[in-house]
Amino acid sequence: MSGEEEARNQQTPIAEVREAVKRFAATEGGVITALDGVSLKVQPREFVTLLGPSGCGKTTLLRVISGLEELDAGEVLIAGEPMTTVPPHRRPVNTVFQNYALFPHLSVGDNVGYGLDVAGVPRRQRNTRVGEVLERIGLGGFEPRRPDQLSGGQRQRVALARAIINRPSLLLLDEPLSALDRNLRQSMQLELKTLQHDLGISFLFVTHDQEEALTMSDRVAVLNKGRIEQVGTPEAHYHRPATRFVAEFIGDGALFSGRIEGPTEDPVLVTGDGLRLAVALGTTVNQVATLLLRPEHLEAAPEAPDAAFGVIEVRLKQSVFLGASRKFVCCLANGATVTAAPTGAGAQALSRVAPGELVRLAYRRDQPHLILGADDGT
Amino acid sequence: MRRTWVKRVLAVHGALFLLFIYAPIVMVVVYSFNSNPINMMIWSGFTFDWYWTIFGYPTQLNEQTLYVDSTDRLLAAVQNSLIVATSTTTISTVLGTMTALALYRYRFRAQRFYQGLLYMPMVMPDIVLGIALLVFFVSFGMALGLISIIIGHCTFLISYVFVVVSARLAGMDDTLEQASADLGANEWVTFRRITLPQILPGVIGGALLAFIISMDDLVITYFISGVDSTTLPVFIYGMLRRGVKPEINAIATIMLMLSFTIATLGLYFRRRH
Ligand SMILES: Nc1ncnc2c1ncn2[C@@H]1O[C@H](COP(=O)(O)OP(=O)(O)OP(=O)(O)O)[C@@H](O)[C@H]1O
Ligand SMILES: [Mg+2]
Repeated sequence: MSGEEEARNQQTPIAEVREAVKRFAATEGGVITALDGVSLKVQPREFVTLLGPSGCGKTTLLRVISGLEELDAGEVLIAGEPMTTVPPHRRPVNTVFQNYALFPHLSVGDNVGYGLDVAGVPRRQRNTRVGEVLERIGLGGFEPRRPDQLSGGQRQRVALARAIINRPSLLLLDEPLSALDRNLRQSMQLELKTLQHDLGISFLFVTHDQEEALTMSDRVAVLNKGRIEQVGTPEAHYHRPATRFVAEFIGDGALFSGRIEGPTEDPVLVTGDGLRLAVALGTTVNQVATLLLRPEHLEAAPEAPDAAFGVIEVRLKQSVFLGASRKFVCCLANGATVTAAPTGAGAQALSRVAPGELVRLAYRRDQPHLILGADDGT
Repeated sequence: MRRTWVKRVLAVHGALFLLFIYAPIVMVVVYSFNSNPINMMIWSGFTFDWYWTIFGYPTQLNEQTLYVDSTDRLLAAVQNSLIVATSTTTISTVLGTMTALALYRYRFRAQRFYQGLLYMPMVMPDIVLGIALLVFFVSFGMALGLISIIIGHCTFLISYVFVVVSARLAGMDDTLEQASADLGANEWVTFRRITLPQILPGVIGGALLAFIISMDDLVITYFISGVDSTTLPVFIYGMLRRGVKPEINAIATIMLMLSFTIATLGLYFRRRH
């Protein structure tokens, strides 16, 4: 834990969710548990991302924090204050909605100024601030336009401007970039990050795009079926996933589940179909575990690999050009796919292999992450 | 070949259909300008006199004929109709809109049943509704008059407004109200600044519909109007029973123009939103 992070944890969190449970009655009968005991803290000035597949409860968690949804159990605190009896309009958070929810009968200026109008800010001051915020997000002079005269990207900016004008201590963003095309999306990612830094407020950002989550966040919370699988830095998620679900969801890589066997000086993971993969020295034997082989761990095996390496024999399926580098998609004897993305000399060695040929790949046995415990089957 | 033949038949069919609907109306309008006082089906020259007649001005025609019904009574009926229509429009628009909002916003037991009850007055035969209202007012010892007509009209006009406003609400994006709350607006401010502007075309449409139906209603009103509370349709009906007179055409034409204006207004508001 870095010093900065430690200092953060000393402060009162901007928002805290404790053991939140939210159930919905399903129309076809029965109940859907959208949140199943979720706990999460957002610290001041922190950029936290909620990441998870569709329907895992991301929107529901945001709505619980903004007060649009009531909890069945647990509680929400904002700046240390319990929010249970506080209606949405008195909570110091603002939301950028998944569909933007711009008021179609109001101009851009009136949309952005709405929060100030209901707060009773004098007209002149209100107009100045609307102008400033629009200027800040690159839509200066757009006040008289109507929402239906804007492009998707512009609408997204107006929704953002409307949500930040009240200077909330926490901004909730529900997949604000998912409707934008790839280029716009990447520039908006940077812009959002800069904006968050300049405003000095916390962002709780929802996405189902892992790349977006990794590039933007201070911390990521991976949500699955209403439960938090792991909370931590992007690095921790990538290098040390806590569960198989997180490992599958974040980054590329091949996963092998099995038992750790063998002598302590050469522990191997043996999968159900007999594949033997060397794992880090010192791993306790006789337990179930899952090994995560990332593409960057793999390279062409040296002629005579020493004990520090694990070796697998694969058949090259195809070599894919990625611009700056290449990745090699290979097939194991049991049919599983592994991808190798070596750098430098390792890449050159593999480039000479023709598709269909057998090739030996090696990885440093202490590099791949090992998820200990039973495969949870998700 | 065959296709042009089919097209021609369809065109004739279309023309006949329009003729069927509009010929009677065109006839009434044309007759209202016919100066023949004896037989309105024989054209004997253009005149505005029937219009003057119904407003009580002396004309050549009403000197020759005995058709001058009491203009005072006609104007009183028009006045009654306007009082009834504006009151019922106001009451049923407010109540119908409130009901639509309540059913849209809250989920409660027997909601479907309640919704069904609201549709009922629209499908109930007018005669039945008229009799029921009459029996109701009489058993409660209420004098028949403008008040009973207003109450009677409201019982079914609320349903019409409810249906029109509900349709509009169903098309509304409900995250708009949530966004408003999120930005710090309480329920009342949200209603005034977001919900109402969003459903306004529906509310105006419902109000215009209620106004037209109320102005136009004969059957139900006939049962529940008192002696001195005759509305325009009841008055015209009474007039007709004493023979079809040419002023009828002028009255019908004026009513037609009014309905037209209201419908145009309605369309205009639809467009604007
Ligand atoms: N008002 C509601 N009534 C019934 N079920 C609901 C309601 N809102 C959400 N759900 C259910 O709760 C679960 C979580 O929904 P939520 O909208 O939080 O998902 P999400 O993670 O935001 O998904 P997406 O990425 O698709 O937006 C889903 O199974 C959804 O069907
Ligand atoms: Mg969502």
